[in-house]
Amino acid sequence: MSSTNKTIQEKTTELTKLVAWFDSDEFTLEQAIDNFKAAEKLAAEIEQDLLSLKNEIQIVKQKFDSEN
Amino acid sequence: MEKLQINPIFSVSDFIAVINQTLEYAYPTVEVEGEVASFKVNQGKYVFFDIKDQGGSVGCFMSVWQLRVPIEDGMKVVVSAVPKLTQWGKFSLTVKTVRPSGEGAIKKSFELLKAKLDAEGLFSTERKRILPVIPKHVAVISSIQAAGYADFIKILDDRWGGLRVDVGHVQVQGTDAPDQIIRALNYFNGRDDLPEVIVIIRGGGSADDLAAFNDEQLVRAIAASRVPTLVGVGHEVDISLSDLAADVSASTPSNAAQILVPDKSEIIRAVRVQIGSLLPRILRLIDQQKQAISDAINGAFESIELAVEQRMLQISNLKSVLVQLDPNTVLNRGYALIRGAQTVGSIIEVETNKVILKAEVKNVVNK
Repeated sequence: MSSTNKTIQEKTTELTKLVAWFDSDEFTLEQAIDNFKAAEKLAAEIEQDLLSLKNEIQIVKQKFDSEN
Repeated sequence: MEKLQINPIFSVSDFIAVINQTLEYAYPTVEVEGEVASFKVNQGKYVFFDIKDQGGSVGCFMSVWQLRVPIEDGMKVVVSAVPKLTQWGKFSLTVKTVRPSGEGAIKKSFELLKAKLDAEGLFSTERKRILPVIPKHVAVISSIQAAGYADFIKILDDRWGGLRVDVGHVQVQGTDAPDQIIRALNYFNGRDDLPEVIVIIRGGGSADDLAAFNDEQLVRAIAASRVPTLVGVGHEVDISLSDLAADVSASTPSNAAQILVPDKSEIIRAVRVQIGSLLPRILRLIDQQKQAISDAINGAFESIELAVEQRMLQISNLKSVLVQLDPNTVLNRGYALIRGAQTVGSIIEVETNKVILKAEVKNVVNK
């Protein structure tokens, strides 16, 4: 996970919002470059997170072959 | 000399006890296959039936809660039981488990239980809960030695990361399997840190191998789970009652992993497509703005040109008027300009378009 401590889902949501901004009425060319750079950085973080995260698999100690 | 043989004399109770001890020593548990006859349930608690074949018949007794699959007369079953002589001297089998035997009986038992649980609403779509899109903590109930478990973990690792997976190792076939899976379900449902999903998986097998997942108590436990359940048992064609009771059913363990988590490579590809589409979008918007500016400038030029043309036309009209007002224009039409007093005897100046002459006024007549 990158330093921002956001989950992949949060980052993906943020990226979707940033991309949607380019089609919104709030779009200005002056802001576009900054938002583009932010989206590019976020995309790189998401990709890095996805590729680096490993699942933590743990076999529970509890035995189920008899009651208790 | 004849050897004297002394036979022990038992009381009836002792005799029954000795026989039962002998039976217990020789046959602690027996498995007997036969056809069910005279099946009945007394007081909603006790189950009685005979198990028979062409050569004989044996009475069986068990409690209702031990009966995990529905049976009826004519069904072929295998009972696991303790042989016993009752205090009334009747031989019977105290049944611990009973399971249908043979494809026909398994299918019949499956259909009976399915109809019963369906009527109770256990398979109703209204009961189904939605699984989280991207869970962070899941529990898996399976045998860690099973190929289906290995398939599930491989696909899970390929598709997603950062997931906490607690695995409850249980038997996934055999008579002990349903109880073990139920205990594991209860364990995960009773944890303080509840998992977001409980996944129950087992790879393919024969109908007998998969019979554990048609156990009534297990199906009820799945339906009653606090935590949403995902069941992936057998191959694509296999449908167990556990599948029907689960919130979500997967066709195989691999498919369960596919349902549980998104594919990170698809997300990476989608993210790249999103970013890749932004720059052309910005350039297109810049082009649109450039075009708008260019259109505005052209419009301004056209307005200026129109205004200049209008002024030029006005000037042209004024010039025409001025030309008409020019005295030379009048003289050119043959008129003459007279200067001087218009009285008899005075000298006047007469100007035509060609000459200027002096003349004396001889007569003046008023018009």
